Amino acid sequence: MIKIGLQAEGTTESLGGTMAQGRLQRRILNPEAINGLKMISPTALYATLLLAVPLFLIFLYSFLTDGYLTIERIPTFGNYVETWTSPVFEKVLMRSLGVSMAVTAATVLAAFPMAYFVSFYVEPSKKSIWLFLITIPFWTSYLIRVFLWLVILGYNGVINSTLMGLGVITEPITAILYNANSVVITLAHAYAPFAILPIFVALEKIDRSLLEAGRDLGESPLMTFVRVTLPLALPGVVSAIMIVFIPTIGDYVTPSLLGGPEGKMVANLVQLQYLKLDNYPMGSATAVSSMAMVGIALIVGFAQSKLFRRVYGAFIGYSNAGLSILAALAAVLISFGACIVVGVVASGAFFAIVLAVAIGHIALLIWLKSQESKA
Amino acid sequence: MTLPAEQPTMIEFKDVHKYYGDYHALRGITATIRAGEFFSLLGPSGCGKTTLLRTIAGFEDISSGVVMIDAKDMAGVPANQRPTNMVFQSYAIFPHLTVAENVGFGLRKDPRTKEEKAKAVSEALEMVGLTGFGARAAHALSGGQRQRVALARALILKPKVLLLDEPLSALDKKMREQMQVELIKLQRQVGITFILVTHDQEEALVMSDRIAVMFDGEIAQLDDPETLYRKPANRRVANFIGTMNFLPAKIVSETSQSIQVEAAGFGSFTVAADQASGKKGDEETAVGFRPETLTILFDDQKASDREAMATVEEVVYYGDMTYYDIRLDGAPVAMRLSMRNVPGRPVLDIGARARVAWSTAALVLFR
Ligand SMILES: Nc1ncnc2c1ncn2[C@@H]1O[C@H](COP(=O)(O)OP(=O)(O)OP(=O)(O)O)[C@@H](O)[C@H]1O
Ligand SMILES: [Mg+2]
Repeated sequence: MIKIGLQAEGTTESLGGTMAQGRLQRRILNPEAINGLKMISPTALYATLLLAVPLFLIFLYSFLTDGYLTIERIPTFGNYVETWTSPVFEKVLMRSLGVSMAVTAATVLAAFPMAYFVSFYVEPSKKSIWLFLITIPFWTSYLIRVFLWLVILGYNGVINSTLMGLGVITEPITAILYNANSVVITLAHAYAPFAILPIFVALEKIDRSLLEAGRDLGESPLMTFVRVTLPLALPGVVSAIMIVFIPTIGDYVTPSLLGGPEGKMVANLVQLQYLKLDNYPMGSATAVSSMAMVGIALIVGFAQSKLFRRVYGAFIGYSNAGLSILAALAAVLISFGACIVVGVVASGAFFAIVLAVAIGHIALLIWLKSQESKA
Repeated sequence: MTLPAEQPTMIEFKDVHKYYGDYHALRGITATIRAGEFFSLLGPSGCGKTTLLRTIAGFEDISSGVVMIDAKDMAGVPANQRPTNMVFQSYAIFPHLTVAENVGFGLRKDPRTKEEKAKAVSEALEMVGLTGFGARAAHALSGGQRQRVALARALILKPKVLLLDEPLSALDKKMREQMQVELIKLQRQVGITFILVTHDQEEALVMSDRIAVMFDGEIAQLDDPETLYRKPANRRVANFIGTMNFLPAKIVSETSQSIQVEAAGFGSFTVAADQASGKKGDEETAVGFRPETLTILFDDQKASDREAMATVEEVVYYGDMTYYDIRLDGAPVAMRLSMRNVPGRPVLDIGARARVAWSTAALVLFR
């Protein structure tokens, strides 16, 4: 066999020992750093005043005691104990998480084909028009869009009267208004553009010759999508998930207008405690708790998505581990499912979820390691 | 260098036309590519080389005509079911996969075990000189390394035909020359039919068994490099491949064996009938010759065939070579002539008089 040029380079040696001491000094006190800090200072000041300070105040409130009309400056964990033992909070939090997940899933699943269509099937010169059309719903106030859904989903609304007129149903469907379902539908519609754009950008960045290469190397259009397009679009999908999941969990307007008593979410609870019950500390504790929840949910989600990518990577790689990989995917789904079941049944639902996901995660990691060492 | 003609046919184009809307990109391509051949498609930008290559790969539907690969009509056969693999101009290395995963991409449906496939991948990497690069992320590669990965990824599938679309154009000159040699060696080693697209005539001459020169969606000439250089089919091909001088001429008389020609500067002379190129009446009659077929005679050197006096109009010194633009006495145009520089022999100055020798056997007659 003829050997051509190049050999793998030796591993580059790590640089000589860096001194830990003085590093801080070098980082912050060198002229460049000072200059940099000066330059960001207006923005930093703005961000501090408008974001950090209010957040810090809420954090502070959550550890104070509620008096009759005032807030007593007596530090306490009581608010958190009450929040975490309250069945209402648990129920509302679980519902918020559930609604957000459902909205995220619905939005991203619907946004992907849309983004795919615009990126792959619309003529390049017409793409900007399409994107522009996608933003049309933003031209009206969100409130109006919510009311429109009210008209569509209502007892005598568009859907019900159409279906009744066609004779498909004899009585109006009530399951689609004033509960979590209507909240999910409305939010999914509202957030669609936010999900379409990052996915579209990710798809646009894919070099089209990569798709031809996939075909050239023997894969059908479908398998090329699975092995090339989808993994390359994944960063866009992940940002779409974040962009939809994070704001919807704290959404206030939609559940208060369309949620009915059975569709209220965390933000409504916070509002109730702040404005109706005038209990700032409890409201703050609820807000901080739900924020922590979102944080934990995101961390778990990240860990899961990393794992998912590895599993998926093994699936799309050249190692033809087909069946076992499908099993792994099933395991991920089952771990998610199990989490939810455990979470709903047991009390302290959220921690149960985290625990179950973590266990499933570790189990999968071990399994993957064993697969890799075999290879 | 040239393969025997009885080599079986690998690819056959029969009157292939391709339209992009109104634009007629391929205008009746008819050609045969033999098995095991290193074949090049050479032509200026926009002449349809890539389009023709893509019709072989199956990325481009043809408007009419037939493309056959290994005696099978390729109409309706999708790219993933053709026995061809491609090295893309941009290399198209999958950025989300490692080098080894890239190389092994096409092995998914291969019935071999995981271990055997891993072995095949490392062998392919060894073949292109990338031993030990398997675990590298694809984005951490240089241009030359990417190209090798693309080669390994295509060759591991043992295609009947390997298609290369300007694979070397993104590399610097040194690297390009090195890769040219490596590609030739690789092709001999694997014995697969290589079809190379290039707009670099030198590259095509160096690498190919046969070359199709394309202009405006048509094949102007299909020959081995030597014939292409020695006897271009028309003036356009002659100008595209190397440099050729043209001197207006007149055909005095013609027999089936020889042609009597008269050209101002060259005088009157006879050439063999097979020195005439192209069909009669295609172009203005002219004799063409390469710069190296003219020689300046120094001192009492004797011409082997013919000689005449000329004036030097321009001198371009290249170190090993000197190019002179000279005008033969009585000739209407100046002509380029190249001389190898020899120690002790002076480089002539502009305006100098020189004796120039040529051989009528090296002339090509365009008519
Ligand atoms: N998708 C397309 N739609 C319309 N015209 C096209 C398309 N692809 C190529 N063409 C046109 O067809 C002609 C041939 O293109 P092709 O890419 O085959 O040229 P080429 O010989 O490979 O040139 P280059 O050396 O620049 O790569 C060009 O004039 C080009 O503008
Ligand atoms: Mg091209």
